[in-house]
Amino acid sequence: MKALDEVVLVYVADLKRITLPDFIKNSLCLIICILGLQSPAYSQTVLPLTDLTGFKPVSGNSWQIVGDVTADLDKDNRLTPVKGTGVLLNLPDKKRAESDLISNFEHGDVDLELDFMLAKKSNSGVYLQGQYEVQLEDSWGVKTPTSGNMGGIYERWDEKQLIGQQGYQGYAPRQNAGKAPGLWQHLKIKFQAPRFGADGRKTQNAKMLLVVLNGVNIHENVELLGPTRGALSQEEIATGPLRLQGDHGAIAFRNIRITNYDKPRAELIDLQYNIYKGKFDKAPDFSKLPPEAKGTSAILTSTVNRIPNEFLIQYQGKLRVPQAGEYTFNLTSPGGVGILKVNNNEIAKVVGETGQGKITLPVGDISFELLYSKFVSYIKPILGLTIAGPGFREYLVSDATTIKDPVDPIFVPAPTNTLLRSFIDLPEGQRLTHAISVGNPEQLHYAFDFDRGALALAWRGPFMDATPMWQDRGDGSSRPLGMLQPFGKPTLLFGKLSSEQALWPTDTTGSNYRPKGYTLDPQDIPTFQYQVHGAVVTDIIRVIDNGKGLQRTLTVQNSPANFYARLASGKKIEVYSKNMYLIDDKAYYLRLDEADNAKPIVRNMAGSQELIIPVQNKLSYSVIF
Amino acid sequence: MRYIHFDIPLQSKKVFFLVGVLSLLCQYVGAQTSSSRVFTQESAKEEDYFKIMRLPAPEGTVLEVGGLCTLPNGELAVTTRRGDIFIVENPTSQKPHFRKFASGLHEVLGIAYKNGALYCAQRGELTKITDTNNDGKADVFQTIAALPVTGNYCEYNYGPKIAADGSFFITCNLAFPEDEWWRPYSKAPWRGWMLHIQEDGRIEPWATGMRSPAGIGMIDNEMFYADNQGDWIGSGGIIHVKKGAFTGNPAGLVWTSQANSPLKLTQEQLFAKVSPRFQKNENGQDIRPLNVADEKFTTLFELKKSFPEIALPAVWLPHGILGISNSEIVTIPEGAFGPFAGQMLIGDQGQSKIMRVFMEKVNGEYQGAAWDFRSGFQSGVLRLAWAADNSLFVGETNRGWGSAGEATQGLQRLVWNNKVPFEMLAVRAMPDGFEIEFTKPVVRKSAADISSYAVESFIYKYHPVYGSPPVNTQKCAIKGVKVSEDGLKVRIAVDNLRKNYIHTISLPGVVETENSFSLVHPTTYYTLNNIPDGEKLSLTQTNTSKTTAAVPVKKTLADKTSGASKAGSSNTADKAAASGSKTPSFEVVKPLLTKYTCLACHSPDKRQVGPAYAEVAKRNYTHDQIVNLIHDPQPENWPDYATPMPPMPQVPREDALKIAAWINSLSK
Repeated sequence: MKALDEVVLVYVADLKRITLPDFIKNSLCLIICILGLQSPAYSQTVLPLTDLTGFKPVSGNSWQIVGDVTADLDKDNRLTPVKGTGVLLNLPDKKRAESDLISNFEHGDVDLELDFMLAKKSNSGVYLQGQYEVQLEDSWGVKTPTSGNMGGIYERWDEKQLIGQQGYQGYAPRQNAGKAPGLWQHLKIKFQAPRFGADGRKTQNAKMLLVVLNGVNIHENVELLGPTRGALSQEEIATGPLRLQGDHGAIAFRNIRITNYDKPRAELIDLQYNIYKGKFDKAPDFSKLPPEAKGTSAILTSTVNRIPNEFLIQYQGKLRVPQAGEYTFNLTSPGGVGILKVNNNEIAKVVGETGQGKITLPVGDISFELLYSKFVSYIKPILGLTIAGPGFREYLVSDATTIKDPVDPIFVPAPTNTLLRSFIDLPEGQRLTHAISVGNPEQLHYAFDFDRGALALAWRGPFMDATPMWQDRGDGSSRPLGMLQPFGKPTLLFGKLSSEQALWPTDTTGSNYRPKGYTLDPQDIPTFQYQVHGAVVTDIIRVIDNGKGLQRTLTVQNSPANFYARLASGKKIEVYSKNMYLIDDKAYYLRLDEADNAKPIVRNMAGSQELIIPVQNKLSYSVIF
Repeated sequence: MRYIHFDIPLQSKKVFFLVGVLSLLCQYVGAQTSSSRVFTQESAKEEDYFKIMRLPAPEGTVLEVGGLCTLPNGELAVTTRRGDIFIVENPTSQKPHFRKFASGLHEVLGIAYKNGALYCAQRGELTKITDTNNDGKADVFQTIAALPVTGNYCEYNYGPKIAADGSFFITCNLAFPEDEWWRPYSKAPWRGWMLHIQEDGRIEPWATGMRSPAGIGMIDNEMFYADNQGDWIGSGGIIHVKKGAFTGNPAGLVWTSQANSPLKLTQEQLFAKVSPRFQKNENGQDIRPLNVADEKFTTLFELKKSFPEIALPAVWLPHGILGISNSEIVTIPEGAFGPFAGQMLIGDQGQSKIMRVFMEKVNGEYQGAAWDFRSGFQSGVLRLAWAADNSLFVGETNRGWGSAGEATQGLQRLVWNNKVPFEMLAVRAMPDGFEIEFTKPVVRKSAADISSYAVESFIYKYHPVYGSPPVNTQKCAIKGVKVSEDGLKVRIAVDNLRKNYIHTISLPGVVETENSFSLVHPTTYYTLNNIPDGEKLSLTQTNTSKTTAAVPVKKTLADKTSGASKAGSSNTADKAAASGSKTPSFEVVKPLLTKYTCLACHSPDKRQVGPAYAEVAKRNYTHDQIVNLIHDPQPENWPDYATPMPPMPQVPREDALKIAAWINSLSK
């Protein structure tokens, strides 16, 4: 087996992103987006969470199955359950002694994905193989997290050292990407187990290939030299159970998905190549063509060929298929045509740069043929192929090839209140063309959409990446960095409703909406101004509670009759407390601060819920997450 | 005869671009009067009169200048493509002080001052910016008019320019697709238009036909703009934009059906007369239209007979010679730059230089002459603004497109040393030719000799192809010359004048009395949109003959090599090149490279707008392949270069082969 593990993941993703520098394309900064792009749902299991039978019996009984939970922002360790199934809750109290929960199944290489919700001041963690912990902690408000805060890879422990020097090799997350207690958070871990030789000695360390918290890559390719503190065993193991920490506080889990990579991978063997001279846009009649060169190769590569242009490399060999199932091939063969034939089926023809082919294969040595015909003079020959299949991670079977040089990213920090107008591509895909981002040292930033007077997006962490607009010609856009909190498709905040059930307008037609710009106060905090339905609005958004939320205050002059504001729209809107709501299945809190005594209304629309409120002269609300 | 010293020190930082058509100069190198002397001293150059100075800025300040304007108190407002506005205090001093006035704006490509506020065009809007509490920083950003865009990278807005009544003009760039880069489009209202905007935000669409209208100027309270050569735009030039005008590129015509459009011309009507050549290949992909060498074509002036909305360039700026991406247009104020006060200067972003234009009105329409003025700026010239001391601030950037010069950005200053250069001051159309006015009196004998002059004319095609070669080139014989008493004016009677054509007028033989210098810029391009009525030159008043039989001067080395390009010369180097038995040297091809404007974008060893010839040599093309690529370039071959090379079918095969042979010799 080729030892490509180290190199695999970065190059796999980069290979798929090989975009030839066509001359008006701007160079985006390279996002090393590791895998998951093509990974099919092989061997993916969703833990049913209808009872605890999937787990070993626990000494205490703090764990239970419930339907939903709510936290309390004011009370430590308080999670209030609702009966039902689908949520795994740890709620230790006087009657329920606390303990960890350990799965019956064991895993090696694995992708783990789950939602979790922490109570205030709670502390938990996920132990891969029971051995290596990713810390889950209510670190809400911590700006420079350590390895012991939310998302850290917990430190290792040497009892024999001096007090205060016993912890070591803990890894802080790149940022605190956590959210407030009582909100569902999302964790994704790609883990690689340690490797052992025939004699049982470790040959490779375990690795956190990728840890993503609430959409932020907080660890990439972190090598784990040994078990973290409190591991089930001080000996490292090829497989081990999944372990959820339960001895330090209340936490709930749901939507736990496991993808095991525990099967051998398909390999290419007996590779032979022929090289033909000429320009071919489809497979030629090889019987009539004498090859310029031939040979065998240990690996798929374009470097067996010396002809700079107008050549065809034909690789033939066998694909050793270890388990039946669907196999996916990603081929990169720029500057001409690439053709992939597996089991005598042409499964991919690439005209351009990349392409993909899939085929269901039986166990055995399957015929394999790859043609790479290159005839575009100015394009360098590159040949790349990855294979994904049941039970193993997608990996690169060709040589790790060179790609376009990456550029230095251009980041915009916000050490003081900082503004940046740009195009912004929202997570749902819409491009805002008249947007301004406002950053601040509390690290809770937001984007305001001038086209609709909408709070379009908020995020926590670093401010912005301006490389897409300041590198070369640019595309006019910048990217918010850090943990994003979207607010759905931006619409007008204000509208006239003929009745409380009338549909909220989807665009600005008929609203006479006009942006008027903004003014800056001495701290450079903007107040936006616009007109809508004849009303004149000032709109100012401030960071509150040292970065825990944003408070939006609006004054309205000359408001017309039947004037409403739609504060939120989402899958679910739940009442948290008086004048405070949980929006979109507990994605964020919305608190009504000031409303001229108007009563907010939660209304059911088709497929969603909305929070609306009549408006006369003043409105103030906060989004907290 | 003058020994014109061609100084192109390739290894130095400055790159000089020769103006003019060298073959014409070479033709007359041999002629001389019996009493003229052969001088070996150099004639004066641009930098002997206009010095380029630095404006020091704090290290790390990114000054990709998008807008410049001088405030009433002499401070300079500078806007950048990174969205900053700086106010520079004491900008002409040794230590200018930079103050950040505003930031976070979206690529500000122009700024103007009115009544205590700054107005600027950003990607999304025209904004009024004010400092209301006098702390030196802007605090009110008022949206005058929000402009719709689709989010394409190229939908820039330029301006504003302020009319006498306080209203604003801005221009809107088209959107450029990633794949079909040769066919920009207008999918949001008013892309490709000039807009007239009031303080209260009312938008009045003014004119369309624009492609990349980066250079705009308010001259005599009239709007002018300069476009970038590209699809439908054969060459750059300055166009007077009256309300309801159509300036050439059809993309913006999609909005003429709007009720408030001042013109009603549709794309369908235009395409019925000139095919847009939507072509697809076998795979159904759109392919770009290429120049067809021998074809019937139309010109913008011919089409104007069918579509009176068409606005012809007032002054064409021949592509590759006087710029490749024209930018800001300004008037030289009274008291600035000596005799040139009142004339116009135009920047160029690709060749990093400034051109000069003299305009007059004939039959009520603007037309005039253009010359090179000053080259050698460190980056692409985008904006110009006059300092209080009558020096000229030059704002530069080339990010995304490349340019001549060694930097990617710049803020420099052009200063006149009060010495009057010997230049053509103005050229005026006459019923039978032209009158050329000089800045200094000429030596009568040199000016009276009709062989001191050469005139030819040409025009550009109007077609969907990216740019146009010069076409319909014809020589214009000089019939007679009359020098004024004071030696400051010369009137030449010229045959074969053609209305609407660009007339290349070269005066290589004319020298001035003080130092016997020849003209700093001996060639001008006069756009003869109208021929005035009036009295013709009576030939009895003129000198109609060449001087005493042209005695071929003993050719110096420079003359020999520059004469090599002329057929019929007995020069041995020429023979060798023609026979192909020897690789032509750089001295042999340099005049060709200049004549065909290759040096506008290429240098032998440095990346400029186009790749260095040494890089081209590495591609191992055959000579024939290079010839084909000169005639039909494939910009896809050079993906790292943003500005496509226009087709150059006007390069004769024989010359192209010499160039190819020389290029390929660089790889050895």
